[in-house]
Amino acid sequence: MKNRILCVTAALALLLTGCTFKKNDYKAPEAPPFAALTEIKEGRKNIYLIVKNLDSSYWQVVINGAKQGGIDFDCNVYYSGSYTENDWKSQERLLDEARSAGADAVIMAPNDSVMLAGKVDEVYSDGIKMIFVDTIANTKSYDICYMTDNLIAGQKAAEEMLTRFRERGIPETEEAEVAIQVGARSSQTISERLAGFLQYWTENAPPDWTVVKDIRCNESDAEVAVDIAEDLIEDHREKIKGVFGTNNGSTAGFAKVVMKKGLTDITVVGFDYSEEMAKLIASEEYDASTMLQRQYQMSYIGVEKAMKLLNGDTVEEKFVDTGVMVVNEDTINDPEVQELLKQS
Amino acid sequence: MKTARKKKEKDNSSFVTSLMMYLFIYLIGMALVITVFNSLIKKHDKQLTGEICGLVTEKMNNSIRYMTLSAEDVSAVLSAQDIRSSESLYDPLKKCADRKPEILSMGLIDSSGSIYASESEKREFEKWDMLKLAKQADPISISPPYRFSKTGETVFTMFVDMTFPDGSDGYLFMTYPLAEIQNMAYSDSIGSKTDIWLMNADSDNIIQCAGSNSYLIGSWNNALLTFGDINDRDISRYDKWKSKMANGERSAAVVYGIGNVRYTQVFSKIDYMHGWYLVVRMPSSSLSKTMLGFRTTVLIFIVVMMAATTLLFVLVRKRSLRERAVLESLSTHDPLTGALNRLAFDREAEEHLKTTQRKQGALLFIDVDHFKQVNDRYGHAAGDKVLKEFTNALNELFGEKAYIARYGGDEFTVFVKGLNKETVSIRIGQLSKMASAIIPGEKKSPDDLKITFSCGGAFFPDDGIELKVLERSADTALYRVKENGRNGYAWNNEKVINHS
Repeated sequence: MKNRILCVTAALALLLTGCTFKKNDYKAPEAPPFAALTEIKEGRKNIYLIVKNLDSSYWQVVINGAKQGGIDFDCNVYYSGSYTENDWKSQERLLDEARSAGADAVIMAPNDSVMLAGKVDEVYSDGIKMIFVDTIANTKSYDICYMTDNLIAGQKAAEEMLTRFRERGIPETEEAEVAIQVGARSSQTISERLAGFLQYWTENAPPDWTVVKDIRCNESDAEVAVDIAEDLIEDHREKIKGVFGTNNGSTAGFAKVVMKKGLTDITVVGFDYSEEMAKLIASEEYDASTMLQRQYQMSYIGVEKAMKLLNGDTVEEKFVDTGVMVVNEDTINDPEVQELLKQS
Repeated sequence: MKTARKKKEKDNSSFVTSLMMYLFIYLIGMALVITVFNSLIKKHDKQLTGEICGLVTEKMNNSIRYMTLSAEDVSAVLSAQDIRSSESLYDPLKKCADRKPEILSMGLIDSSGSIYASESEKREFEKWDMLKLAKQADPISISPPYRFSKTGETVFTMFVDMTFPDGSDGYLFMTYPLAEIQNMAYSDSIGSKTDIWLMNADSDNIIQCAGSNSYLIGSWNNALLTFGDINDRDISRYDKWKSKMANGERSAAVVYGIGNVRYTQVFSKIDYMHGWYLVVRMPSSSLSKTMLGFRTTVLIFIVVMMAATTLLFVLVRKRSLRERAVLESLSTHDPLTGALNRLAFDREAEEHLKTTQRKQGALLFIDVDHFKQVNDRYGHAAGDKVLKEFTNALNELFGEKAYIARYGGDEFTVFVKGLNKETVSIRIGQLSKMASAIIPGEKKSPDDLKITFSCGGAFFPDDGIELKVLERSADTALYRVKENGRNGYAWNNEKVINHS
């Protein structure tokens, strides 16, 4: 009898704690220690890769690029990263660990361009080669950066949205709104995409095609991204004709809601090739475009350049725009796009 | 006694009300002073921070103007050169840019649109559609900030129209790091909490030029997100400020709060950089710390003054009450014995008869027998002593159950409340014993005069319920006792009882 009471009490306690557990309370685990990505051999240079999200397919491509780079350019590559794209503290710790482990070069995608800048300065001042991929930190203490020029990418996204609107035959005199959600407030990558999008939109869109002022941030939480997408679409249902996600998670959130509700009259424009975006682009009913980045190249070339720098090479340009490809139903079968998607 | 108590209670209540009124008015005054003070501080802060923000924007704008003037000078010098080919003009420019770290690149664009710059700079031109911007130069145009591939920094490029030595039109361009604006215009005296941005009026895009965190310089953001946390009550004020920018006004200021911090924010139009403004923000409170200290001092002074004046009022009130009590006692009591005088006695007795529902009690007229002999034999002081001790005996026996008065000389009146006739009779007997124990002289002597008294009483309600009626009955009874040889008592219409 006593055991039964205990079981019931425990079950109730679990039920109660389960009831009060909010999805936003979820705290991602801290970054794991570095693991070897290539075969580790004595006497080779050691390159450490730090990514933003170990659970993301996008970042897996970055890891694959670095791995291939390690094989092709004969170096030891170690990797680790955080589990959410706002966990800059884990990345700060990883920078220290890489330095203590005797890294020759660090290839990194910083989660926070400002908060990590100081730590990057320290690592760079130790003589460790510093290469940014995907995102840059606000410091001069780095050798080279391979990433999408996000201002340009944001402008391309706005240009694509306008093209889609015109192709759909939306009259320029009709009031049309675009809702936006961002993945983080402090990521320069995201801020620049947003800035580029808004700059292009205000300069080129007809006056009646406007952006919803209520720009929301999902703090890199996939479930929150879906909730925000639902709210924004619901709140502006009458005029909304397009949605723009500044990063993979935000775009996937919009895509999920658009597909779930069968909103074929809303154009989805965003970044990266998530499963949800792939479905929308493949479907003839929906209207979707995504900005496909060359993240495989970023890390592959990053490893190559790290080795060259360690062998005394110099840098002509510190910032290398790896560019984006616009992927939609018209371009999906282009050989170059297919080649990029294969790497994904 | 009851009447006096009521009056005292009324007085106290009136004093407490007055005191409360005083405190209320004082507190209202204090609140008013603090409100006016706060308002003045805010006004002062707004004005001063507004002026500082205005000065900073002017200084920043002057720095940009200085850059444009330099570019115009270079353009004029180049135009005056006796060099025919554009390539030959570009060479010294390139060398000049290499020597000056604050200028990232310099180059030329001729009338055909050919660009004289490094290959990487040419790629930059194509990427950012710089030719379009160059053609807007009249005589100057400035590009929006962008990331410069060569250094990875955020930069802006300035275009100046110029006449080439062969007479054709073209442009000179110069690229500066965005941080250069800060280097030229920012100083520590501006304060570490001051943020400076470039802001585009159409897109709301902002880019940090200066701030507490140097790593923020060159970072992009959007005003819709950065200023999205403004307190609800200030949003309309901010929107009004923003619409002034959108309408092309040269400068405007706004004060808003984010959480508990209030900020003053000023924008100023940047000449030649179409749609872009300098925005300077600083916490409104950053200048008011001294004033807040002064306010605290004033507040403490006001509170201390309030406590002091309240204490003074209470002390004055206490003193006044004491003096009034003495005066009241003198006007209602016999100064020798402390018993009530006739006037006070009649008032209290009549009040009691009028107001008390269950009336029962007695009115006693008491004369000390042969009191003149006491005075004659022992002196007036002894007489006074006898009267005082007799009064004490009355008080001891009847105490709070009676009003005791000395009508004059050796005559006393006692108005007994709530006791029945038997109890009063017993107490009269006890009074006889206590009176006989009074020693008129300084020491007890066998031949001392024995103090006795005669007492006539009327009982109410049996003998009447009006004081005059009761007095008449008691007086008649007293007369009969005296007729009967004194040292005894009698109730109205009852036989005289002699004290043993």
